[in-house]
Amino acid sequence: MSSLINVKVGNVELKSPLILASGTCNFGHELSEYYDLSILGGLSSKGLTIKPRVGNEGVRVAETASGMLNSVGLQNPGVDYFIEHDLDYMDSLGCGRIINVAGHSFEDYMAMIEKLDPHKDKIDALEINLSCPNVKAGCMSIGSDPEQIYSIVSAMREKTSLPLWIKLTPNVTDIKAPALAAQKGGADAVVLINTLLGMAVDIKTRRPVLRNNTGGYSGPAVKPVAIRMVSECYQVLDIPIIGCGGISTYEDVLEFMMAGASAVEIGTASLIHPACPVDITKDLISWCEKNNEPLKNVTGTLKLW
Amino acid sequence: MKKEYRSVVVFKQMLNQDTAFIILSCPEIAASAVPGQFVNISCSGFLKRPFGIASVNKNAGTFSIGVKVVGKGTTEIAAFKEGQEVSVLGPLGNGFDLSSEKYILVAGGTGVFPINFAHETLSSMGKKHVVVEGFRTIDQAVMTDDSFILTTDDGSSGIHGNCCDGLNTLSEDDLSDATVLCVGPLPMMKAVSAWAEARGLSCYVSMEQRMACGIGICLVCVCKIKAEKEGMPFDHKRCCKDGPVFDSKEVVW
Repeated sequence: MSSLINVKVGNVELKSPLILASGTCNFGHELSEYYDLSILGGLSSKGLTIKPRVGNEGVRVAETASGMLNSVGLQNPGVDYFIEHDLDYMDSLGCGRIINVAGHSFEDYMAMIEKLDPHKDKIDALEINLSCPNVKAGCMSIGSDPEQIYSIVSAMREKTSLPLWIKLTPNVTDIKAPALAAQKGGADAVVLINTLLGMAVDIKTRRPVLRNNTGGYSGPAVKPVAIRMVSECYQVLDIPIIGCGGISTYEDVLEFMMAGASAVEIGTASLIHPACPVDITKDLISWCEKNNEPLKNVTGTLKLW
Repeated sequence: MKKEYRSVVVFKQMLNQDTAFIILSCPEIAASAVPGQFVNISCSGFLKRPFGIASVNKNAGTFSIGVKVVGKGTTEIAAFKEGQEVSVLGPLGNGFDLSSEKYILVAGGTGVFPINFAHETLSSMGKKHVVVEGFRTIDQAVMTDDSFILTTDDGSSGIHGNCCDGLNTLSEDDLSDATVLCVGPLPMMKAVSAWAEARGLSCYVSMEQRMACGIGICLVCVCKIKAEKEGMPFDHKRCCKDGPVFDSKEVVW
C-alpha cells in the first residue's frame, strides 16, 4: 500500500481514507470473500444496540433513480453477542476498527459505552449513530436536537477515552448546529451524512413500497447534499469530518476531501459492486502519484467562489 | 476470492409473452453452481436483479436463467440481445441438499427454473424423483416435460387444481421417504409445506424477497425464521445469504 493515501482523523491514523459505512458491510465476513479488507482505512460495524433487534418488517428496500431507500431498522445481534462473536474477527481484518453505536435513549448510549470501553485495545473509534431514520425512538430524534446531542456526547466523553465520531442526520434545516453541538460536547470527529428520509409509492396498491412507510435514501443521488453539508461544516468546525453519501469512484472521494473531509465512507456502492474499494484505492494512488500530492493534503483545498 | 463477472448473453428465447429464457457465458459460475442458488444480474436500474439458476452446461461454460417480466428491470433483462455483456455476481446463496435418495420437486410460477436445475442434476445423479408443476393457465406453462405432473388453476391442461392437487395423485412409492423441494409463490410454498408436514416428509422451500446486494451485507431481503435464541419473537434471516433455501419447518409462515 502506498503511504500517499495515508490520512489522519484526529489522532486516528488510517492507511487509506476509505472506510466501509455502517450497515453496508455487516462485520466484514461477507465482503472479505471478495477482497482483502486490509486495504481499507477502516470498517464501521453494523449499528449495534444494547439488546438484539429483529429490525423492521419487509418490504425493506425500494429502488429509486440513482439510489435506494432502505428501512432495515437497525437489525443487529446486540452488543454482547457482537463482543463475543464478531469483535475479534473485525480486529483480525487489518483495517481500522470502527464500532457503530446506536440506541433509543440517553441511558442506552451510556450503557453501550460501558460495554465497549473495556475492549478499547480492539477498537479504533466509536461511531455514534445519532441519525438512523428507521427506528421510532432515539437516533435521528436525538440527532436533530443540538441540545440533546451536546448532553449525550459530553456524557459519553466522560465515560471513555476512545475517539468519538458522531454520525449526523442530514434531515435538519442547518447541519452546522448539530455538528457544532457534537464538537462542543467533546466529539473527535463528525460523520456526514447518514441517509435522507424518503418515501416511495406503489401506484398499483396506493401504498408506500416500504412496510415502514419511510426509509433512508442513499446512493449517488444524495452525494451533492452530502458534499454541501461537509463544506458548510468544514467552514465552522475545528474537528475533522468524515464524508459519506453516494461515493462510488475516486473522483467522488476527491470531491468530498476537497470540500473538507479527512476520510470518507463507502456505503451503497458496496451493494452494487462488492469489490469497488479495490479500484477506488488504485485510482486514488494513481491520482496522488500523477499529481505528486499526498492525499491528506487535499482536505479542505476547495476554494469557494 | 469471489468475483463479479463480465458475462455474455449467448442465447435468448421468449418462452411466452412475458417470460424469457437466457443463457449466459461464465465458466466459473457454470463450474460451481448447485440447484437452488441464484445470480444477481445488472441492468440499467440502480440495483442488480436476482434470478434462480435454471441449468448449467459445464462443458460450454454457460448457465441459464428464466426471466418473468414484472417491472422495468426485468423488462430490460428479458429484452437482452445475444452478444450483450452484463455484470453478474454468483453463484449466490445456499442451494438444495441433494444427498437424499428420493425427491418430490414442486414448482410454481418462476420456481420452474430452479426446479428444472434440481431435476436435471438429480437425473444425472440417477436419483428417483417426480416433478409437479402448477400454473394458472396453460398459457403460463413453461419448462414443462411429458414426465412431469402438470396442474392448472383453470383446468386448461393437466390436473384441474393447484400443486397440492397434483401432489395428491402421487403413489405411495413416490411418497415414502421422499424429500420435498419447493419453489414458487409464498402461498403455494406454505400449502406444500403443510402438505409435506401432514405426511411426515421433509420439505425445503426457496424464499424470495425484494433484494439489494445479494451477498448478505445490506439486510433488506429478510424472511421470518423461528428464533434460535430465547426471548426473540423470531429471527429475520437473509434470503440471499442464509437462504434462499430453508427447512419449511423453520419458516414463520
